[in-house]
Amino acid sequence: MYKETILKKFEPRLDNILYILHELQDNNEQHYVSKEDLKLCADYLSVPYSFVHGVATFYTMFSLTPRGRNIIRLCDSPPCHLMGSGSLLDYLKNKLKIDVGETTKDGVFTLELTSCLGVCGVAPALMMNNATIGKLTPEKVDAILEERRKSL
Amino acid sequence: MTKEKKLSITIDNRTVEVRPHLTILEAARTHNIYIPSLCAMEHLPSYGACRLCVVEVDGLRGFPTSCTTPVEDGMVIRTDTGEIRTLRQEVLKLLLSEHPASCLFCTEQDECKDYQGTIRKAGVITGCRYCPNDTRCELQQVTERIGLTETSYPVYYRNFPVEKNDPFYDRDYNLCILCGRCVRVCNSVRLNGTLSFKQRGKITTVGPAFDRTHLEAGCEFCGACVTVCPTGALSTKTSKWYGKPDKEVATTCVYCPVGCTLKLQVRKSEVLDVLPDYNSALDHGFICVKGRFAVPEYVHSSFRIPVPQRITPLGYNDISWDEAIAEAAERLAGVKPDSFLMMVSPQLTNEDLFVAQQFARQIIGSDQIGSPLLYDLGADTGPFVNLVSQSSAFDVIDDAEAVLAIGFDSTYDYAPIGIGTKKAAQRGAVLVTINSCDTNLDMLSEMAFTCGTEKWSALVGLLTGASAQGAAPLFPTWKKDIAGIQGIFKKSTRKVIIAGPGLLAAPQRTEIIEKLLKVKEKGGWDIIVAHPYSNLKGMLAMGAFHGIKTGAIINENGQAEGVKGDLSKFDLTKGCTVIYAVGVSDLDSLPDCDYLIYQNALPSESQRRPDLLLPAALFTESSGTVINGEGRILPVNKAVEPYRSAKPDWWILNAIGERIKKGVMKYAQVQSVQKEIAKTIKGFPGVKKRLEFSRIDVKMKTPKGAPKMRKQGQFNYRGIPLEAVVKGMKAIEERIELISGSNRGAI
Ligand code: SF4
Ligand code: SF4
Ligand code: FES
Repeated sequence: MYKETILKKFEPRLDNILYILHELQDNNEQHYVSKEDLKLCADYLSVPYSFVHGVATFYTMFSLTPRGRNIIRLCDSPPCHLMGSGSLLDYLKNKLKIDVGETTKDGVFTLELTSCLGVCGVAPALMMNNATIGKLTPEKVDAILEERRKSL
Repeated sequence: MTKEKKLSITIDNRTVEVRPHLTILEAARTHNIYIPSLCAMEHLPSYGACRLCVVEVDGLRGFPTSCTTPVEDGMVIRTDTGEIRTLRQEVLKLLLSEHPASCLFCTEQDECKDYQGTIRKAGVITGCRYCPNDTRCELQQVTERIGLTETSYPVYYRNFPVEKNDPFYDRDYNLCILCGRCVRVCNSVRLNGTLSFKQRGKITTVGPAFDRTHLEAGCEFCGACVTVCPTGALSTKTSKWYGKPDKEVATTCVYCPVGCTLKLQVRKSEVLDVLPDYNSALDHGFICVKGRFAVPEYVHSSFRIPVPQRITPLGYNDISWDEAIAEAAERLAGVKPDSFLMMVSPQLTNEDLFVAQQFARQIIGSDQIGSPLLYDLGADTGPFVNLVSQSSAFDVIDDAEAVLAIGFDSTYDYAPIGIGTKKAAQRGAVLVTINSCDTNLDMLSEMAFTCGTEKWSALVGLLTGASAQGAAPLFPTWKKDIAGIQGIFKKSTRKVIIAGPGLLAAPQRTEIIEKLLKVKEKGGWDIIVAHPYSNLKGMLAMGAFHGIKTGAIINENGQAEGVKGDLSKFDLTKGCTVIYAVGVSDLDSLPDCDYLIYQNALPSESQRRPDLLLPAALFTESSGTVINGEGRILPVNKAVEPYRSAKPDWWILNAIGERIKKGVMKYAQVQSVQKEIAKTIKGFPGVKKRLEFSRIDVKMKTPKGAPKMRKQGQFNYRGIPLEAVVKGMKAIEERIELISGSNRGAI
């Protein structure tokens, strides 16, 4: 089974837990770590389920619920706040008709918040999947969303 | 071992010597220097969460937490400077910014206390009750020590729903300070792993994975988390809101043969709660759900028999003790020895059992002494009691190289043995389990053989080398595993078999027992028997058993030939004139009789109605001793007065015996019973070392009328299923049923 091969890439040592969880999440079509994935990981590392669950819920990079194809992570740290990320958030919510942590009906976007992305110089900023984009304005946000929709 | 060199440190201008490998906090505590702390705790790994234990150390930057900083030779430490005090107050304020703090800072507390005593005709609320832990809360104490009387921050209420759906304890994480004690005790002490932190930041709580209930997540309900929680976040359902107990009485648990120390929390005439004793050498505080949570509801059950009662055509009539004793004596006087039957529970104390056998033998002149054991085990009674008398000390697990657990699961009982086994496996001992369903030890085992009970005998024979043949045609898929384990077992020298209660549900139990005894003798295995008959060893030692005299089975110099018992003529179906049942509640299985005396604390659930009900005191209400599974005499201590008119079993037996034949017993106190026992068992009850038991060879056919493999409820005390009176035990029983069908040690 292919999940087994993912696990086998790593030695069953506790310090590999984050790598394993990332790999499981990346290989999941719905971009999340499922309950089964967590159990597999726990059994592989011989630790209680509660431990793996604790780790997975601590890090915001892991999701325990299915997510859309594109994940938007808007920076929620003070510099971005000062530069207007608050109103951008409202804008995104309105536009996508979802709240933070939710996925659009068509499954294209999931909206999340994140701590500092380390690019305060170009605040406000967000991450679209693995790309970081700064100096956001509503227009720029529109363009990004449009571009993602087109690439479907 | 070379003696460790002591270190010299200076704390608050005092130079003291301390052992190495201590943290500053531990070193300070050994010298009675107080440093506030909320997350550190003896027996738990250091964590450094609460930051209240900060100190100043010369040469170290900032304010290190004393619970995580090891002492070094020559260290100069200050624990109580002005700066530290301010810092601690600030830390505490931050900590309390997420903790409802009215119990700490309400300015009207004093007046409020005055009003709380108001007597009204109707119930009124006088004063706030904000937290179930009020007045016995560590956070309150620490706040007082730190001297914080107000806070400058608003309190952020996290608004988590209170979790009440699990048995035995409730959880209100709005009161949690995230000290992590519960998580650590669950993982590092109990080795269970149900609890972990979930999420992060202000929505952090503690709980099992996947939002399951604790019951579903495999929680043992050992209550360790509730014991260590410094706040009211975790609280016992039956004792929350009760405030401080008046006293604490240490006693021995009588629910299984481990005999854990229980610290009964007593207020007035009530046992409110039961706490473990982490300093107990026997159980290390690893008590199970029964000891932790199933005592108060049992001993204070509203179904207790309040006074002696006599049957009439219209139901039971209350009578006085005098009338009851006179009636019993009258019915018993002159009864023919072989038409009398004394039935005793193996969960009575030694003193009760001793007086019971004396009653049968010396007052009635009868050796007709039986126990429910005979119904459960039938023809297998003999081999089983022999196995029990041959069992080893529990601490053989501590340095075992190999452990074979048969029909054993320690989720809800025998916890100290289970945790000992898990520890052994963690430090590298080879653990192998045999059971008919998954057990809580499987995760740490080298191999878990899950198969029907009918195959156990063959498997045990192969693994331990008790049976000669090599590969097993019976187990084609396990051929390799079996061979591997045979090899490991052969090479190991310190080997332990744990025979769990599941063994009693195996059809070939006698065959298995014989194999176990064989490998004990020839193969160098130690054997621990985890069975439900708490004081069985006491019962054998006291001779409360057909054909065995008091003390006969105690093997003082290790050279006795062994004891012979004879149950072959003991007939459990023959009608009697009088049956006297002490702590035995399955009355429907007893033979017919003209007169049935039922002496117990709770009424029987049987159809049959006894003629006389005698209310017995329970183990919290009378003193005595038991002999645990490894042969240690342990004290049972009275903590509260008996319920209503209830009396200790030995007292009742003595009173009736005296009425029939004056001068035989004459026991005024339990000590006089003990003195009498000491005549045959030297030093009783003061013997500190384990009593050695002789082999016992019981001659028997299937005793007539003994149905084989009778299924009983899972956990009984004095014949009454715990679930009948302890609400939470019902949920536990259902859980066991769900996991195992009814396979898990069904007896
Ligand atoms: S529930 Fe109690 S023991 Fe557990 S982290 Fe919270 S305050 Fe500490
Ligand atoms: S393990 Fe046995 S003796 Fe210990 S608390 Fe549980 S029932 Fe009582
Ligand atoms: S006791 Fe040291 S940080 Fe809590």
